[in-house]
Amino acid sequence: MKYAPLLLLVTVAVLIALPWLVSGSMLNAAVQMLIAALFAMAFGLLCGQAGMLSFGHAAYFGVGAFAAVHAMNAFGGEGLLPTPLLPLVGGATGLVSGLLAGYFSTKRTGVYFAMITLALAELLHALAPHLKTVFGGEAGVSSFRMPAWGIGFGSLNDVYFLTLVWTLLCIGLLYLFSKTPLGRLALGLRENAHRLRFLGYNTHALGTLIFAVSAMFAGIAGALQSMNIEAANYVVLESHISTAVVLNSFIGGVRVFLGPAIGGAVMTFFGHVTSDLTRVWLLYQGIIFVLVMMFLPRGLVGELVERIRNPSGEGFARTLSTLLARLASLAIAAFGAVFLIEFLQRVLSPEYRAGVTDGNWPDIALFSYDWAPLSVLPWAFGLGLFGIGIALVTMVNRRVAARKEAQA
Amino acid sequence: MDQILFALLNGTIYGLLLFMVSAGLTLIFGMMGVLNFAHASFYMLGAYFAYTLQPLTGFWLAIILAPILVMGVGILVERFILRHVHEHGHAHELLVTFGLSVVIAEMIKMVYGKFAVDYRVPAELNFAAFSLSGIDYPFYRLFMGGIAVVMFIAIYLLLTKTRVGIVVRSAIYRPQMVEALGHNVPMVFMGVFGIGAALAGLAGAVAGAFYTTNPNMALELGVMVFVVVVVGGLGSMGGAMAASLLIGITNSLAVGSDFRIADILTWIGMGGWAEEIGGLLTMRMSSLAATLPFFIMLLVLVLRPSGLMGEKE
Repeated sequence: MKYAPLLLLVTVAVLIALPWLVSGSMLNAAVQMLIAALFAMAFGLLCGQAGMLSFGHAAYFGVGAFAAVHAMNAFGGEGLLPTPLLPLVGGATGLVSGLLAGYFSTKRTGVYFAMITLALAELLHALAPHLKTVFGGEAGVSSFRMPAWGIGFGSLNDVYFLTLVWTLLCIGLLYLFSKTPLGRLALGLRENAHRLRFLGYNTHALGTLIFAVSAMFAGIAGALQSMNIEAANYVVLESHISTAVVLNSFIGGVRVFLGPAIGGAVMTFFGHVTSDLTRVWLLYQGIIFVLVMMFLPRGLVGELVERIRNPSGEGFARTLSTLLARLASLAIAAFGAVFLIEFLQRVLSPEYRAGVTDGNWPDIALFSYDWAPLSVLPWAFGLGLFGIGIALVTMVNRRVAARKEAQA
Repeated sequence: MDQILFALLNGTIYGLLLFMVSAGLTLIFGMMGVLNFAHASFYMLGAYFAYTLQPLTGFWLAIILAPILVMGVGILVERFILRHVHEHGHAHELLVTFGLSVVIAEMIKMVYGKFAVDYRVPAELNFAAFSLSGIDYPFYRLFMGGIAVVMFIAIYLLLTKTRVGIVVRSAIYRPQMVEALGHNVPMVFMGVFGIGAALAGLAGAVAGAFYTTNPNMALELGVMVFVVVVVGGLGSMGGAMAASLLIGITNSLAVGSDFRIADILTWIGMGGWAEEIGGLLTMRMSSLAATLPFFIMLLVLVLRPSGLMGEKE
């Protein structure tokens, strides 16, 4: 881990140089990735460090987003604060709503907590369409960024740097927070709340505070989001936002500090890249999540860190060759599965079904070949690749197990 | 008066439906300690399976076959996914079922599209049971309530009067002891999970025809079921029953009510102020109906955090 600071510096340098390296559409994706990373970090504080699983974090993200838009519109469009400081408004609103919601949800722990957070988010979502003055009804609330401090905030570059500075600052603050006594107590809350109470700590107040801090950072992420698109609609309160942050954070790994951020950024990146290629990205996201939960319970980053910290003792070459063999066989299986899902999606899509006339099923183009849906070929191709990949993975796993046994 | 009677009846039947789903959830939680997030997805699967089977087999066979199919899905989930992650703890099991609920919802969207499908009450069941002051009461509602009641009596008798029931109940309290006595506890778990899923599937198959069948129905009902479970106390059948009825009835009473908070304030001379503030104070109860269960939940959390009939943590 001695290279960690260096790696961090390089990453920050690349992030700063990014506007000169990539296209506008990619830079737009980068803004989304940064926001998703910050949101996931806020979630990770609550879920990874304090062990409280929230299924309703969209509420605080959304509250922050709306607060920022209203702050931008305040004083006839002058803005409550100069544009670069507007995320503070989102953070403050997130903090207050987090204190309120945290008071109720941390009354219970474990699965109850999870259910209450979900219900609170749904409460806000059900209420929002009726409160037109605050949430703007169907159309939402829109605004525009005012120039401040000699910066125009009109171009994408300005928005990118604004988001970058805030995201890095907040992640830094979250790191420092994890080192404060309150941050250490969060770990205690996760590991053994009973014992904390026995030591004289008020676990309800502690839980509420940590919940509020997490909601505050979620609010900042929400504010950045609405400042980026210069609008907010009650769609940001919908459950799929809460779902996405849970999936992203756990795919990255919530127990390692930067795990959620990397998970959020990577999944948002793939979502952006594949949005033109597939219509069922969310399905893939769900499947990846279930697979990660089943086979890599620490998450992708968590597993990586664990492997680096505790090498298998087989030597670098051996480890690398096993890893490559696993990845290659997984890639074959994944290609087979993706082929099947995409083919199925195309066969089932309404446009295709409209084209079917009395038993005449036109061919479907997929991966630059035409496939007849009624023939065995496409199904056998997908299933075959999937089966071969799984068989190869099993084989590699058996070999590794056999080698371990021989050593012992 | 008649309106209130209708609302009470509707609420009771909706409550029974909620109970049908939350009973399985509570049973599974009590037994395996797993909060099955995908439970409401089984409800949705039941509705879609029945919708698909209906043209092939007719309505009656469809609502019998759909729960059996859902039971199959439930057993597969328990055997190949939940058992695999059991060693990582309960939080992990909850997360996996959460992921499954996402996967199921997305698959449904892929196969049936994003919008509601045309799953309707069959014509032979679509008639009025009785009418009060000129308003017909649909027979199908009574039919749903009847199925739910029959289901509970069957489960109650199964759990209390049969040998299988004794094994199941003892496996909840002392799984190791039951295993030592030679019963196959993992098998019992699988069976309970399957039955719970089938119950949710049956509720979906029956209710999907009356309410709408769309890819959002799992989330909408799932949230209600969670509220029921928090209000009633997880693991308590009686609590689940009471909370289901409470939420069902308040919900349907609120839908038909024009009451506003501003009206109360008028009595103490603050009506004008309330009208000025607007927002929550001037909203009609009917438009707040969807949020009422959540307020009940918050109230219960403040007054009695362990739920109406739950045990203290």
